[in-house]
Amino acid sequence: MQAGDENAFTALYRRRQGGIYRFVLEISGSAPLAEDVTQEVFMALIRDSRGYDPSRGSLAAYLLGMARHHALRFLKRDQTYVPIPQAGDSSRDGGDLAPASDEDPHSAMSRRETIHSVRQAILSLPGHYREAVVLCDLNEMSYEDTAAVLGCSVGTVRSRLHRGRALLMQKLTGGVKAEAGNEAIDPNRCLA
Amino acid sequence: MNCKDFENTIHELVSRRLADKTKQLDALEHAGHCLWCALRLDEETKLTEKLHAFASTLQGQRAPARVEEELLRAFRERNVGSNAPLFGLGRKRVGRGLRLGLAFAAAVAAVWVVVSLWPRLHPGSSALPSRVSNNRPPAASAAPRSNLAPAPLTGATALTSRKSGGAQPIVQAGSLERVALDESANEVATGFISLGTCDDSQCMAEATLVRVRLPAEALLAFGLGTDSDYAPEGFVQADVALASGGVPFAIRFVN
Repeated sequence: MQAGDENAFTALYRRRQGGIYRFVLEISGSAPLAEDVTQEVFMALIRDSRGYDPSRGSLAAYLLGMARHHALRFLKRDQTYVPIPQAGDSSRDGGDLAPASDEDPHSAMSRRETIHSVRQAILSLPGHYREAVVLCDLNEMSYEDTAAVLGCSVGTVRSRLHRGRALLMQKLTGGVKAEAGNEAIDPNRCLA
Repeated sequence: MNCKDFENTIHELVSRRLADKTKQLDALEHAGHCLWCALRLDEETKLTEKLHAFASTLQGQRAPARVEEELLRAFRERNVGSNAPLFGLGRKRVGRGLRLGLAFAAAVAAVWVVVSLWPRLHPGSSALPSRVSNNRPPAASAAPRSNLAPAPLTGATALTSRKSGGAQPIVQAGSLERVALDESANEVATGFISLGTCDDSQCMAEATLVRVRLPAEALLAFGLGTDSDYAPEGFVQADVALASGGVPFAIRFVN
């Protein structure tokens, strides 16, 4: 690509753009922002492709790190992390949630509601927890790659992920302690 | 494994990142006899399933095709601009280098012109002696200056000789300390300084001007500083007015 091979650039773009687009979409909930950031990341790559250092991590982590940087910049500029849902905006409301042909309407509705609630729960997380959850759980990245994207240690990633998932559980189910009858369980009983 | 250890490994367990089989079995065995950890495992598993379900709805999401078109267009423009050795940006770079070179050459030329013309454009401020202010030809009544006569001739080199023809008589001095002699040569000169050897009207009518080059010290004899602009290189040029008998009777310094 550095030699000006358009095919190489096209191949790289088609291979990586989906992950970048989805990552920004997941952390921002905004399709236009995801589109802008994807374009910005590859424009930066066109301008200076020598910025990537293989010794510092994978190319995917490098690109996602750039995407995160641009997304945060855009979001800071717009002063909004959770966009106001608008009627007819399929990108924010589960555009691909059409029921399968063999799925009964009740199941489809339940699934749609679940996904919508998960989306809202993720978007309501604080930014650094959200990033960890999106990268590790939604994109199934390793802790090491996530740490490279976020620019922090693996331990920090684990901590943020743990805390982010706990918050998600509280938002989605109310957590174990909120369930009836669970108060009787002493979580410290096995620590001795 | 206790509950704390279980809590530390539960995420890796449900996300199938726990590569250590022994740890995995220990965690599952612990959940088998610990109700709290079993509930935690169930809860984490459900959350993971929900997250995966949500992620699966986004699997088909891609940036629109227009982004790729835009990027390819930018890539081609950039590529043409940066890699073509003779055209595109390569030519622009050559053009930019040429412009920079021309600008540098122009700057050097401007400096050279200023340096070379500085003495002419900014003649020295050395004041002419009061006697130069005389706007009259050398007066016969003036005291003979025989002591000054030899000085201009010492080491003098005749450069030109011409008849004055009365065209340039005694120069108006005082307020006009300098007059242009030859515009094409950018010459200016002091007024004529009388040497007191000849009557003014007769002498000037038949005078012959001889251009000589004198040591700068000759200026001192007439009360002028040697740092004057008239002697930039240690020499001073002067026009000596000679009477018909070849006797010098007036002199002016030329810059």
